Amino acid sequence: MRAALRAEVLKQRTTRTTLGMLAAVVGIVIAAIAVHAFGLSLHRIGSGSNQLGIFIDVGENLGSLFAALVGAMAFTGELRHGTIRPTLLGTPQRGRVLLAKGATVLGIGLGFGALTTGAAAVAGNIFLGIRHVTVHVTAGDYVLLVAGGAAAAALWAVIGLGAGAIVRNQVPTIVGLLVWVLFAENILTSSIPGVAKFAPGTLARALAGATSGTVATPAVGALVLAMYAVLAIGVGWIVTTRRDFA
Amino acid sequence: MRGASDAPVVAVRGLTKRYGEVAAVDDLTFSLRPGTITGFLGPNGAGKTTTLRLLLGLAEPTAGQALVFGRRYGEIERPGRMVGAALESDDFHPGRSGRDHLRVLATASDIEPGRVETMLEVVGLSAAGGRHVRTYSLGMRQRLGLAGALIGDPELLVLDEPANGLDPAGVRWLRSVLQSFAEGGGTVLVSSHVLAEVAQTVERVVIIDQGRLVANAPLQEIADHGQSLEDAYLALTTGADW
Repeated sequence: MRAALRAEVLKQRTTRTTLGMLAAVVGIVIAAIAVHAFGLSLHRIGSGSNQLGIFIDVGENLGSLFAALVGAMAFTGELRHGTIRPTLLGTPQRGRVLLAKGATVLGIGLGFGALTTGAAAVAGNIFLGIRHVTVHVTAGDYVLLVAGGAAAAALWAVIGLGAGAIVRNQVPTIVGLLVWVLFAENILTSSIPGVAKFAPGTLARALAGATSGTVATPAVGALVLAMYAVLAIGVGWIVTTRRDFA
Repeated sequence: MRGASDAPVVAVRGLTKRYGEVAAVDDLTFSLRPGTITGFLGPNGAGKTTTLRLLLGLAEPTAGQALVFGRRYGEIERPGRMVGAALESDDFHPGRSGRDHLRVLATASDIEPGRVETMLEVVGLSAAGGRHVRTYSLGMRQRLGLAGALIGDPELLVLDEPANGLDPAGVRWLRSVLQSFAEGGGTVLVSSHVLAEVAQTVERVVIIDQGRLVANAPLQEIADHGQSLEDAYLALTTGADW
């Protein structure tokens, strides 16, 4: 297991894909925060809960989305480039490969979530300061934003990996994750809020400290989101150990 | 050390793989002895590649079995140190360097890191090792694939069309690599379409057609029939009498 894990980490370090994704998402977060801070009317950015809501919706949401994409590509990329063959020749225990990938993208997701929520908070303070808006977010809010955002993105990375292992084809997996996070959950929230409370994107927001339209506490959010992650990797495990690799 | 036992290195028995109604591999049986180079021949779509993937645990047989060193591939712990394989000429991440590709393989199989530079030297890619694989020619990719197959100092080498894309000097070099590997007691199973190349390298041929075994004989035996390998191959795979 240790060898497989070290190999997965080395795979991530020896291409520019993950670092490029990180640079992209941090850039998008900063741009989106700028749009909110300078574009919204003062009464929508004046209160602490408004401000925290923006940091979560931008920082946590985009961090989790990109972490999920990295997780998915950790599997689908190997099929796309054919490296799955040398990977499985070296480690024919497929469950072990999937677990090693899971641990690796979990760690990457932590980094993504911490950096995107951190970037959202820092950029928000700078941009709101330029507009002479006082920031009312508390120290405790920031801790939960960054720690919860990191945990949410880590779990989303594992969900993405499971989705990749199930779907296998890279483009449909990525499109599916984008559609779910950016559109499907929003539609669900506005049409069936009772169900949307338990949708993975909403749970991730709760984990980072959001309180509206979500389950009661970050802990419950973490628990249910972790169950999604276990389910995704579990189904991914079952199909990966049973299917052929042509 | 190598070839100490005469037990078959590869034992394929009644191997069958069906995709719906079509049998890609149909009740195939053959085995390989240590220290031999065997050519695995057959027309396009005969089931060569499917057989190799069944042998290496990438696909599950519908019936029968394919064993390496008496075990199913998936049951071998650290198989990269017993079996080296190159199945496709392009199983690389285009944005990863050749050297890093080999480092990943070595790491996954707990192979001593110094083997990476050794293998780059053996296949003549030391200077190009730091370049992304996307800049490699087909011949360079074949060499990198062979380096990956050899990195664990295996006892069995399984190669699918390794001569594709190699220039004449590269083909000669490949032949010398395979021959010295077999002289050291290693066993080679190599599929190829280039019959002239096969005739110069291998001692035995296993020929399949439509998933079925049509010949399993030493090259010498074919020559004793007064036939060239090409004549025998065409006779066997086009249905004419041999």
